[in-house]
Amino acid sequence: MAKSATPALLQGTLDLLILHALQRGEMHGYAIAQCIHLLSDEALRVEEGSLYPALYRLELDGAIKARWGLSENNRKAKYYDITARGKKLMTQQQETWSRLSVAVDRVLAR
Amino acid sequence: MNQLFRRIRYLLNRRRFDRELANEMEFHREMADGNGAFGNTLRLREEARDAWGWTWIDRLSQDLRYALRKLRQSPGFTLAAVLMLAIGIGVNVAAFSFFNFFVLKPLPVRDPGTLLRFERRSPRNYASDVPYPEIAFFREHSRTLSAVLALDPSRLTIDGEQKPLTVHFVTPNFFHELGASAMLGRTLDEHAAAGPEVVLSYGFWQRHFGADPLTVGRMIHLNNKPVTVIGIAYKDFSGLSMENPDLWAAVDQQPYFLEGSKLFTEFPENGGGVKMFARLQPGFTAQAAEAELRSLAAQLRKQQPAGIWENESLPSQPGAYAKNITGSRSGSGKVDGDELYPVVALVGALVLLILGVACGNLGSLLLARGVAREREIAIRVSVGAGRGRLIRQLFTESLLLALLGSAAGLGLGYVVFRILMVYSSTPAWMNPTPDWRVIVFAIAIGFGAAVLFGLTPALQLARQRHRATTLRQFLIGAQVAGSCVLLIVAGLLVRALDRAMTAHPGFEYQQVLSIAPGLAAHGYSPAAARGYISALENRLHGIPGVQSVSLATFVPLGRGVATMGVTINGHPIEVHINSVDSHFFETMSVPLLRGRDFRGVDAHEIVISDSMARQVWPGENPLGKIFNSGAGDFSVVGVAANARLVAMQDASAAQAYFSVAAEELPSMFMLVKTSGPPEGLVPFVASIAHSIDPKVFPQVELLKSSFKERVQGTQYSAVAVGALGFVALLLACFGIVGLVAFSVSQRTKEIGLRMALGAAPRDILSLVLRQLSRPVVAGLVVGVGLAAGLSQILSKQLYGISHLDPLAYFAAVGIFALAVAFAALLPARRALRVDPLLALRQD
Repeated sequence: MAKSATPALLQGTLDLLILHALQRGEMHGYAIAQCIHLLSDEALRVEEGSLYPALYRLELDGAIKARWGLSENNRKAKYYDITARGKKLMTQQQETWSRLSVAVDRVLAR
Repeated sequence: MNQLFRRIRYLLNRRRFDRELANEMEFHREMADGNGAFGNTLRLREEARDAWGWTWIDRLSQDLRYALRKLRQSPGFTLAAVLMLAIGIGVNVAAFSFFNFFVLKPLPVRDPGTLLRFERRSPRNYASDVPYPEIAFFREHSRTLSAVLALDPSRLTIDGEQKPLTVHFVTPNFFHELGASAMLGRTLDEHAAAGPEVVLSYGFWQRHFGADPLTVGRMIHLNNKPVTVIGIAYKDFSGLSMENPDLWAAVDQQPYFLEGSKLFTEFPENGGGVKMFARLQPGFTAQAAEAELRSLAAQLRKQQPAGIWENESLPSQPGAYAKNITGSRSGSGKVDGDELYPVVALVGALVLLILGVACGNLGSLLLARGVAREREIAIRVSVGAGRGRLIRQLFTESLLLALLGSAAGLGLGYVVFRILMVYSSTPAWMNPTPDWRVIVFAIAIGFGAAVLFGLTPALQLARQRHRATTLRQFLIGAQVAGSCVLLIVAGLLVRALDRAMTAHPGFEYQQVLSIAPGLAAHGYSPAAARGYISALENRLHGIPGVQSVSLATFVPLGRGVATMGVTINGHPIEVHINSVDSHFFETMSVPLLRGRDFRGVDAHEIVISDSMARQVWPGENPLGKIFNSGAGDFSVVGVAANARLVAMQDASAAQAYFSVAAEELPSMFMLVKTSGPPEGLVPFVASIAHSIDPKVFPQVELLKSSFKERVQGTQYSAVAVGALGFVALLLACFGIVGLVAFSVSQRTKEIGLRMALGAAPRDILSLVLRQLSRPVVAGLVVGVGLAAGLSQILSKQLYGISHLDPLAYFAAVGIFALAVAFAALLPARRALRVDPLLALRQD
């Protein structure tokens, strides 16, 4: 599915990106995907097929919560927001991620 | 926890969440309009739903619906499969129902958990009954028991009926403690001390009084004593006994009916007494109660050194279970182990074998069906069904079949249980309706069966390997082994039955009747008893047709049994003991092989059975040897031929005869041998025995009837196991017919080719049957081995037939071989009718 221009997301990082995006406030699924896309300078594109399962998993886990609201174009949309548990989870994952990326960089540098 | 909650919330509102998901994705698509493809919405939705973790339910319901459709498409197969499973599961359910009833399910009484039954034990003796004065002492002094119950089964005569009634004398708190009320009138009341009163059982009220509601308040006569009927118990009132008592009376009134009774003061010898039950005081454990009763017994022993045993303890058992209220035994030495569990193991093994045979058969059927479903499975594989998915789907079909089988098996088990209830004199209050344990058992065993018959065929089918015959052959072998075991065990039982009916048990029973005067219950002293007995003997000798009269403490084949566990000459042995007078051997026609019988009363002499002599003094002359019973030394003066007076089924049972001691006279039975048929003498003898002392109501019975009762047990088990064996044989034959027919249809072309090349019919037959011979032979060998091992449990129930009896084995294997040959040749004939031309022209 992933095209060569947009690298496939590493397993588990999508959750972190979603949580990070939601720190800016509540937004709907499409906005989350857009946010990640723009923040990555259009390098990352979140596949819709992985976005929604990830959102549901996070919701089930209690890391985010959802409510129905009206979108900017007056359409019913589901808005997601990060919970306290989600914030804690994000800090943890962020640490893991930085440790991992530093380690990978180190390996590749030699 | 929260996660689980959210998951369940999703499961409950699945439809709404699905709709929302669709909405959300639609919204996303609108927003992203033109910006990249969204892909297949349905598939994406399914993937998103996966995150909730409930997809398996959808798949399961999908599989179930498909399986249901599939089964409905082939009603013949479904019917055969469910029928086979119903038989296999049904017999298991019926067997389990009995086990459940005896061991697992409490009696229908109030608060069964706190009800205990106490027995007596000491390092040297054991008894299941407790002397009444001891019980009274416990009731007075115990702090751990909130109530103490006593039950004393007796037999009394009612005016106008020859047969004595079963009367249970109970403590007046009996009904209240068991939470029972009266259907009509009232029950015994511990607070209102009143005159002589009885409560009738429902069955007796129906039988004797025609269910007349005006019976309550009426006066009846028991042992000629007037007594008022105060109430009728409910039909389902169990009491604490497996017999169906006709009526209950307060134990305080026992001496009123049995004049001269010393129940309240006497500590009977030989472990006599009444049954003791008690309720635990809240907050106390059974261990605490046992510890307290032990110290109370030690206290009582100071006042009653003869009545209470040294180091007497009172172990308890849960009192509200059928297993623990049956039987009453006493003896010295160690208590013999529970005889229930080996029997349970044997019955369990036999009924599981039936299920195994049914499963093996069904497995073969499923494999054969796989051939017909090849195309369907190939299509499903080619549109992308994974192997796991296929196995799951096929196994779901098996599970559905098993579930149907469980339901049908429950029904069949209920019917079988009902039928067995009629024939095995189970108590009237027993409720045959399956309870939750039986239902859970049926479902569990159905699931087990599904794994047994469904899993391997599913694996083979999914791997498209179902044409391989190895598994089929294995299944046939297993069926052969299973049905072979059942046939052999049935054969052994039939042989035993034949032996029991035709062979002599070692004593005369056709023309002997027993008299139970019950003198001890009336408080007779030994001297008074001697007077009564000699008077009765004189009168009996005057009757024409009476050949000889003798005394014994235990009637052959009777209800009471005393065993003694002793070690003599280094041989531990269980001996059935009896005290008899010198006429006993003549009356019972038991020849003396060596030595002589007793010269006089009270001598320290003993006569032993041949089997005991062989076990204790092998190869030696037993005469003059010393037998130490623990109570004294007895010298062996005679060896009697083996007479299986107690354990009729056990040819090796050892027997020792002591001569009657004076203090035993009140508890004597009399045996009368007649020269003609004894039936006509029964009422006559009864009236003579009654006329000597009008307060005594002697019971006269024919030994013949006890014999019949004993043989009946073997008869029922032979019929039951025979039926099981027949069903198993039938199932195995079906399996073989199927296998041969299948291999013929598969090899039509090959057969045609061989015929065209000039093969003789013999060659064709051997070609078709060759693959059958190995599993059948292997199955037979395994079956014979299994049967030899299993039937060991039976060895003491076979009336002297060895559990390796060659006739039973040969007959069973012979019947089996015949049936198998028939089952194999029937479809094999088709192979001979193959037309080579037609067969070769097939594609």
